[in-house]
Amino acid sequence: MSETPLLDQIPDGPWPSFVKEIRKTAELQEKAIAEGKEVKMPGCAKALLKQLERSYKDKKTHWKHGGIVSVVGYGGGVIGRYSDLGEELPEVHHFHTIRVNQPAGWFYTTKALRQFMDVWEKWGSGLLNMHGSTGDFVLLGTRSEYLQPMFEEMMQMDPPFDIGGSGSDLRTPSACMGPALCEFACYDTLQLCYDLTMEYQNELHRPMWPYKFKFKLSGCPNDCVAAKARSDFAIIGTWKDDIQIDRDAVKEYAKFMDIQKEVVDLCPTKCMTWDENRKSLEIDNRNCVRCMHCINKMPKALKPGKVRGATICIGAKAPCVEGAIIGWVAIPFIPADKLFERIKEIVEPLWEWWDDEGKFRERIGEFLWRKGMGQFLRVIGEKADVRMIKHPRTNPFMYFEKKELRPSKIVEELEKRGMRFKSLDREEEEI
Amino acid sequence: MQQKEKPPWWKTDFGPPYFKDLMHPVLKKNYGKWAYHEVIRPGVIKRVAESGDTVYVVRFGTPRLISIYTVRDLCDIADKYCDGYLRWTSRHNVEFILTDESKIDDLIKEVEEKTGFPCGGTWDATSGKYGLSNIIHTQGWVHCHTPAIDASGIVKAVMDELYEYFVEMKLPALCRISLACCANMCGAVHASDISIVGIHRTPPLVDDDAVRRMCELPTTAASCPNAAIKVKAKEKTLEVDGEKCMFCGNCYTMCPGMPLFDPENDGAAILCAGKVSDARHPPELSKVVVPWLPNEPPRWPSVVEAVKKIFLAWANNAKKHERMVEFIERIGWERFFDLAGLEFSWHLIDDFRVPPFMYASYRVGTQFRW
Amino acid sequence: MAEITYTEEEKQKVLEKLDQKTWKIKDLAKILRMNKKVVQKIVMDLIDEGKATYWSSGSTTYYATPRYVEEYEKKRAEG
Repeated sequence: MSETPLLDQIPDGPWPSFVKEIRKTAELQEKAIAEGKEVKMPGCAKALLKQLERSYKDKKTHWKHGGIVSVVGYGGGVIGRYSDLGEELPEVHHFHTIRVNQPAGWFYTTKALRQFMDVWEKWGSGLLNMHGSTGDFVLLGTRSEYLQPMFEEMMQMDPPFDIGGSGSDLRTPSACMGPALCEFACYDTLQLCYDLTMEYQNELHRPMWPYKFKFKLSGCPNDCVAAKARSDFAIIGTWKDDIQIDRDAVKEYAKFMDIQKEVVDLCPTKCMTWDENRKSLEIDNRNCVRCMHCINKMPKALKPGKVRGATICIGAKAPCVEGAIIGWVAIPFIPADKLFERIKEIVEPLWEWWDDEGKFRERIGEFLWRKGMGQFLRVIGEKADVRMIKHPRTNPFMYFEKKELRPSKIVEELEKRGMRFKSLDREEEEI
Repeated sequence: MQQKEKPPWWKTDFGPPYFKDLMHPVLKKNYGKWAYHEVIRPGVIKRVAESGDTVYVVRFGTPRLISIYTVRDLCDIADKYCDGYLRWTSRHNVEFILTDESKIDDLIKEVEEKTGFPCGGTWDATSGKYGLSNIIHTQGWVHCHTPAIDASGIVKAVMDELYEYFVEMKLPALCRISLACCANMCGAVHASDISIVGIHRTPPLVDDDAVRRMCELPTTAASCPNAAIKVKAKEKTLEVDGEKCMFCGNCYTMCPGMPLFDPENDGAAILCAGKVSDARHPPELSKVVVPWLPNEPPRWPSVVEAVKKIFLAWANNAKKHERMVEFIERIGWERFFDLAGLEFSWHLIDDFRVPPFMYASYRVGTQFRW
Repeated sequence: MAEITYTEEEKQKVLEKLDQKTWKIKDLAKILRMNKKVVQKIVMDLIDEGKATYWSSGSTTYYATPRYVEEYEKKRAEG
């Protein structure tokens, strides 16, 4: 009888099967050993299947967390895993993860990948995730003593690959394919992702903050990497001037597309009009909110404007602890050629503030809820902009700055008595 | 431990390879100068540059967890058809970039034969024909220590059922399905058309003996976001305040003596009607529509059935370009629960925390006027 | 910014604490009644010297001595 009767039912059906991938690894790794290749984790793919079968039977995980991060000099990028079935399945007793910093846009040469597969065949399980949720290239399963040699092999590859982030550090930034393949990219997502990653190597490799911090970069508001939902600092391409329009190309689309119904009627601000007789599309650009629908529909005819840059949305995160957040507008527009410098000017004081006053496991979004947008804007040196909100506040409980209060006998007397209240010293916040 | 002399090749903080060094020459040449794209058939996107250069991006769904031997197979194919270049997408798909249109059929045949990865996962806004993309997901029982459900197994069962929508383009609009095996959501699935989220329903069952042997008491207590863990100094163990526990598993991460697994009570919640794109409708969080379904390995029939009900209620009734949230806003939640055949219960009315008023007034997304 | 300096004695105090359990910089600074920036600098220097190391919960990161972490990990692996 099969040792894995439950897992045997997984490969049924047309979608590619992860069980098949694990089995293939087990089989071919054995073959590699028979051919005399050096394999440090023999039998682990088979043992992983046994452990997984047990999970399918018990309806629970059999992994425990470990906290090793033992690559010399780094504090992140390795995640410890131990099996709670270690005695039965010694091959997967230690089964740690290595996060590898992926190339921006997930572009690879076969040469780079083959080198990687060779060293991972030797030092690890032969299993990986292409890719993990944050965007890293994830190596699944090795022992503590192989972490360092694996990393040393990575250093010597051509091109070399570095380790990504984990723990309370800057997580590996990731970006959409942007200008490499897409006509919608409003700034160079890949170059900016690379530049930020290189600039903040220390923050990426040596965790020291209250919690994690993520940059994600999308070239347009379609947001193909879901930056708005999952990055503390989302950089979303947009533009300021008029949508570029090729009127002949619009006429071509009109031959097979109901432009009134499928484009104009679906515009969220109804800023477009279609003249069916003249086959002419007019856009009231002052009223356009750059949602991308019309551009998605007619990529040959419509393009983002020429004054391009990005909107910064801040604070996105998953539900633990205070609830899920989609990032909100922190800076409506930074021109494309100023992005790197301006982002540096913003995040560095922001990190310092959050590091000083953030609570343990408090993401930037929750931190800003606690501290307020007023103080945030003072820290990053930006002016308030009505584009940051859907509507102004509905309560009148505002704290003014001291300089906004008129000098008065009452204020003088309150200060003399040592009475403290928020409007007296706006910057000094309570804990 | 690092006192010994470093070899000459030693380096740290060197970062990822420069992306342009790993990019096909035709992409480098036309970088930032693409004119338009069109989807010529499911899984194949034709991209035309201002220079007239044309590439065909051919997309295949993968199970995310793959073997080095499969990557080598993919490399062989990329060497044969694409001059040794390939890329992955943010949703676990692999893409081959062809410059010769006549090779498309051979490439697809070879990938499907060698790896079993299906060609598809694309959509074409122009014609209003949309395919289902791959399900982004987390580790589950394959490699995670706090999951309430498996990840890969459920994804496999759901995608087997929805396979035809991946390989064809017959949906009214974009549909993003995602799965996170616990509420910490390392996948952040909270703004998807449909999301499957693992939830625990019981607090950790303290194993005093394991706590004594393996755990730092104050550090474990401090790891609780809700201050629900008390140190019992005399007994050298920990106590959980069940009233405060939100079943997040942080304490188990710090201390293996705090397991919070209950095979009979862990399970999946299903959320829907979220999105991240600003197209037409601004981004929005997903909402819980099924509070809990049990773990039923290996094929999770209840989860598959619920996802399919939600999916079909939308796919069969939405107008062209109408995503889940737009569809439900038009017909109303009351009608949606009827259409999908879902039961509305008290669990679905939020009672977790007082919602932050100020956040409700913040603008999400990038839809605003200059 | 001025160079952060500290005494050998302060460094020794930090090292002693790091050998007892895993710490966050903030808590370490609090219990030693020292400036957070100074403690951070000391811990970073100790890590460079191989006398301190990281321990990570995956989402958050702590510091201790390699001796302590090795022992702690051994206990966790063995269960």
